[in-house]
Amino acid sequence: MSGDLDLEQRYRWVLRLLPGYYRDKWEEDMVAAFLDSWMTGDPDEDSVTMEYDRPTRQEIASVVALAARLYLGGAGTPRRYFAWGQAVRLAVLAVVLVHATQGLAGLTLLTWRRHLAGWFPALPASLAGPVPGGAWPAVMNAVDCVWIVIFVALVLGHHQTARVVAALAVGVDLVFLLQAQFAGLLLRPLGAWSSWFLFDFALVLAMAAFHRDAPPAARRPWLLALPGYFLLVPVPVLVIQATGNQAWLPDSAGLGCLVVAVACLAHAPRALSRSRSGPAAGSGVWSLALTLLAAAAGVWRIVSLGSYVHDPHLIHVGLAELLILLAAVALVVPDAARAQTAAPAPPLYPRPG
Amino acid sequence: MTGQAFFVLTALADGPRHGYGIVGEVAELSQGRVKLKIGGLYGVLDRLTAEGLIEPDREEAHGGRLRRYYRLTRDGRRALAEEAELRAATARVVRTRLGLAGGEAAG
Repeated sequence: MSGDLDLEQRYRWVLRLLPGYYRDKWEEDMVAAFLDSWMTGDPDEDSVTMEYDRPTRQEIASVVALAARLYLGGAGTPRRYFAWGQAVRLAVLAVVLVHATQGLAGLTLLTWRRHLAGWFPALPASLAGPVPGGAWPAVMNAVDCVWIVIFVALVLGHHQTARVVAALAVGVDLVFLLQAQFAGLLLRPLGAWSSWFLFDFALVLAMAAFHRDAPPAARRPWLLALPGYFLLVPVPVLVIQATGNQAWLPDSAGLGCLVVAVACLAHAPRALSRSRSGPAAGSGVWSLALTLLAAAAGVWRIVSLGSYVHDPHLIHVGLAELLILLAAVALVVPDAARAQTAAPAPPLYPRPG
Repeated sequence: MTGQAFFVLTALADGPRHGYGIVGEVAELSQGRVKLKIGGLYGVLDRLTAEGLIEPDREEAHGGRLRRYYRLTRDGRRALAEEAELRAATARVVRTRLGLAGGEAAG
């Protein structure tokens, strides 16, 4: 922000955070109200205020919060912003779903290791290992399970609860990462930190998309997705580990790439048929959400490859995973692009009362 | 209805007001508990306009700038009355359960 600006220009500079359509409608009004809140009517005092004062941090924060709500649009916003809002909401739900199923997998393994369920078969040697003691493993197990609560809260519309609990869980994860980093316990620090940044920290920020104007999530499909995804991904992974075939498993970033690639392939027929029948055939927000997830998974894969610089074989495997991801996401990208430009604006959602 | 929207509608109940006028009236109505920032205020005004509960009334020049005034629509007046009734009924129940004066009569 240049020092030559006066208070009005400084505030207008802050308002540039807002989407153009919104500024066209409200900017002059907002500037008038803002200046009214500063002016005293005394020309000398007002002149000093105009020259030296700046919008307060609370004032800027209120514009940032408004911008987040508008860009991640809900009911009543233009098509483009609504599509982005819906896509981010779907992507957030998908990532929280994965966290929640990891919590379920951790719970399953803990139950198995500690012989808490009599009907479980004997723990295979490949999974046995020493049962970690101390406070941290217990805390991390608890945090993993908390994601199940966060997922259910988000699906049932308890957005504020989900946001607060997720922020706490992500904070605990950060402390754990820092502690492991300084103790030299992180095997692949690049992968661990990029995962935290993309799928924990950015995730909590993206939860801002679940604001008051956001349409509710489809409860039944998302709640069914929890056991569904658990059976489709974590359970087969556990089975592969239990049968001593870990060598066939990709690392977490690779698994992320492959899961998103499979999701893109599964969605591709719908995306392609929509492109043939025109923009009116659907919203395409799932294509946009998958593109966002593919971008995050791709970045994670690329950054985490840095841990394998001494192993050309693993570099090649990682590049192959990236290639598969790119090929799969290419099928849905055209539909994702159309999702932002399709004409009709969504209606306002009816509110109770 | 959020607390902010309730106070904004209440601020417009006795006549049209411009943006900063609403901020001042809300602060007074809430005895200083609700201090609307401009970004927050226009988030609420935009939503209430879209829901048809308020509408622009007129524009007046002031200090070289145009102030736009807003007023309640008929739907806005009805929604505010319903919300006020709901809040009053809730308050009566709370007072009764706390054994305070002004609660619902027992029996």
